[in-house]
Amino acid sequence: MTNYKNPYLFIEAQIVNVTTETSNIKTFTLKPREAIPFRAGQFMDVSVPGAGEAPFTPSSNHNISEKLDFTIMNVGRVTGLLHRMEKSDTVGLRGPYGTAYPIDEWKNKEVFIVGGGVGLAPLRALLYALFNNVGDYKKIILKYGARTSRDIVYIDEIETWKRRAANVDVGITVDVGDESWKGNVGLVTTVLKDSHVDINNAVSIVCGPPIMMKFVTFKLLDMGFKDSHIYLSMEKNMSCGIGKCGHCRVGPYYACKDGPVFTYDKLKSLPNIWD
Amino acid sequence: MYNKSYIITKSDLFDLFARLAQMNRVFVPYRYNDNLQFIEFDPSKESAIELGGIRQSQPFKSFLNPARKMVSGKEKNDSGRASCTGQAIVAGVKACDLSSLILQDHVFLKGDCEDPFYAFHRHNTLIISCDCTYAKETCFCLAMEGRPYPTKDFDLNLSLQDNLFVVEVGSVKGMAIVNNYKTFFKDCKMGDLSGRDSMRENVSLQVKNFIEKRGTPEAAAINGNMKKSYDNLPFWQDVSSTCVECGACNLICPTCHCFLLFDERSQQRIGRGKVWDACLYKTFAKVAGGHNPRKHLYERMRNRFDKKFAFFPEVLDYFACTGCGRCIEACPGDIDIREVLKGIVTGKWNKPPHD
Repeated sequence: MTNYKNPYLFIEAQIVNVTTETSNIKTFTLKPREAIPFRAGQFMDVSVPGAGEAPFTPSSNHNISEKLDFTIMNVGRVTGLLHRMEKSDTVGLRGPYGTAYPIDEWKNKEVFIVGGGVGLAPLRALLYALFNNVGDYKKIILKYGARTSRDIVYIDEIETWKRRAANVDVGITVDVGDESWKGNVGLVTTVLKDSHVDINNAVSIVCGPPIMMKFVTFKLLDMGFKDSHIYLSMEKNMSCGIGKCGHCRVGPYYACKDGPVFTYDKLKSLPNIWD
Repeated sequence: MYNKSYIITKSDLFDLFARLAQMNRVFVPYRYNDNLQFIEFDPSKESAIELGGIRQSQPFKSFLNPARKMVSGKEKNDSGRASCTGQAIVAGVKACDLSSLILQDHVFLKGDCEDPFYAFHRHNTLIISCDCTYAKETCFCLAMEGRPYPTKDFDLNLSLQDNLFVVEVGSVKGMAIVNNYKTFFKDCKMGDLSGRDSMRENVSLQVKNFIEKRGTPEAAAINGNMKKSYDNLPFWQDVSSTCVECGACNLICPTCHCFLLFDERSQQRIGRGKVWDACLYKTFAKVAGGHNPRKHLYERMRNRFDKKFAFFPEVLDYFACTGCGRCIEACPGDIDIREVLKGIVTGKWNKPPHD
């Protein structure tokens, strides 16, 4: 009889809060049995015990490892089950996996963040990580696009981000306007140039649906960003989280261990990265 | 270190298996018509045991990474540790299965953490390999830089000579078997080795002839061509035109390692398991919301070859094909990996006629 550490097991976590963000997006605050240290950008597998698991990036501040937020859109089987769960229900957590945003390398730089839809979830964790040492960064700019005003996540929190510090600049746009929306209307790609960014001293971080990431990346390249300064979140079918099950391969990489965030220089020569 | 060879008679070998089977699970190849199958050793059916021939129908990987395996759920309060029991001795493993071990070990033992279930079976499985005594038309190990006889990664190797076996020792564990059962093993004479060597040459020649007759490209000729053929969409569409997406080529392949984690629930407990997965299945790369990076069959077919002939050469300097030919026999669509490899090199697809 030999004992080995089993990487496929989850830690039980209790749902301590559920916030409804939009008609199909909720933020779950989970309190795991033991604290789970993670860094912004890493992901975890959230399970509905006995039913299945799916990968999500925590959306909360990585300085807090006792309680983690996960912002989840109801789009499939596991997320559908999660959306039916309530406060005090138990889920499972496995991870963290993958690489973190290299925020220490970005000190004294301008951090230009572009998010789309529920893609703001990992970027929220990134923003809080940057806010922990907000003075270390020359500028922190967020450009966020949602389909309509009703699809904006963290709507109240975003107001507090705008006031966080003088070097923080937040802009929101919606694809389709309506009477209640007084802000900007248009795809997020149309507002990128509004900001004064010192391209030579900036990095850009993008997370959103594949089609949005594709056109934002092209726009950023147009603006003069270097390939190696564009950080993209690759959504792949990450199952085991430890580079063994084979599902999330992207060229010579596994998204679960070499990503899920990649700089564009690593991806650009690979075929079909936006599919 | 273990360069001493021994001789064991067939009847002594079966006696040895019977002795070993008292303490361990012993698996040996049995012949069923044209095929060999690993089955648990049964002394009453000795006549059907064949410690020669060619590779078995099922890949040896199934002993190290079973097709379906629960990874939790024995108890509701799982302690977070994997408990495994049981020792296995597998006899008759062929070189084309042994040469997949470098890849399986890379996947399951290396990286940030090892797979404890694979690690357990890998460390607790004694491998008694054997030389191929003939080749089949589908054999092409030599093209993939293999040999029809084991050269490494075994504990003991058997080379059949009439009713005797030449025994080569490949590890400490193998040496321990020889030392513990000394009476069965006799010292090897020079003549026995020359018989073994001439058989090895003879079988190698058979494989070589099959490769030449078919025009199967050698690994060196394939190198780098997978990337070039990636955008040859008509080629990949032609290759996949008869594929029925059964996944047999994936599951039966000694190098394929992909698996799916699944969860299940009964009244008493919840459980999680691993099951072999196949990259030809439509849902293999599908993500939330139904988005699928490989929604077309030709993309999945191309991905299978890209993984074997571009990904593994890049990350491990190793072609993820051992030339065992199992996928050729398993495919109901007659998709022949040798023809695909020819096409990767030439850019053309010649669908082989039905035999």
